[in-house]
Amino acid sequence: MYYLNIGDSPINVDALYQKLKDPQYGGIVTFVGTVRQWTGDIETKYIDYSAYHPMAEKQLEKLAAPIEAKGARVVIAHRTGHLELTDEAVFVGVAAAHRGDAFRWCEYLIDTLKQEVPIWKKETDTDAVRWGD
Amino acid sequence: MGGLVMQIQVKLFAMLQEALGETVTVEVPATPSAEEIKGAVSQIAPNLKQMIQTSRLAVNQEFTTNAPIQLQSTDEVALIPPVSGG
Repeated sequence: MYYLNIGDSPINVDALYQKLKDPQYGGIVTFVGTVRQWTGDIETKYIDYSAYHPMAEKQLEKLAAPIEAKGARVVIAHRTGHLELTDEAVFVGVAAAHRGDAFRWCEYLIDTLKQEVPIWKKETDTDAVRWGD
Repeated sequence: MGGLVMQIQVKLFAMLQEALGETVTVEVPATPSAEEIKGAVSQIAPNLKQMIQTSRLAVNQEFTTNAPIQLQSTDEVALIPPVSGG
């Protein structure tokens, strides 16, 4: 069963990875998005994330359920609140029988999350405050 | 258009919330389209029109299509600015 969480607590990558381990799966792919300092010439100081609860959780369920229905396991966590450089903002993990599906579905999940899940970042850069990317 | 008008509250997020607060109250035609609701919010904040136009509408936490929306007074209506999670 999938595990989905959106909240202010730091993302515990090790604990989330453990949720993906299971004898039926031979491939685990995880993606971790972190707060980057430089985007071209723009220097980021920190990022504040906010979400529309519980619509964001519902949207994650819509992403995870069809993939779980194919026999894989999905673990997604997104942090909200104040994040500093190198902090983990998002964790997406897929465990599947074979690596091909795990890679494909992990990429699909993070790409679709960035389009369909109502979460916003407010980036405080050295020169300006920017919403989104 | 039957000329019927209803008053609705629209939840706002991100830069729209920062500019206008957590909700705005607008008048829209009965059975409005998403475009009509966005237009009504734009009238309150013409300077944010572009951001409002690129936002999506959600009713009861589901994205809408642009078909007319059968709104009930208890429905939760929200404007979703372009998302930027991840």
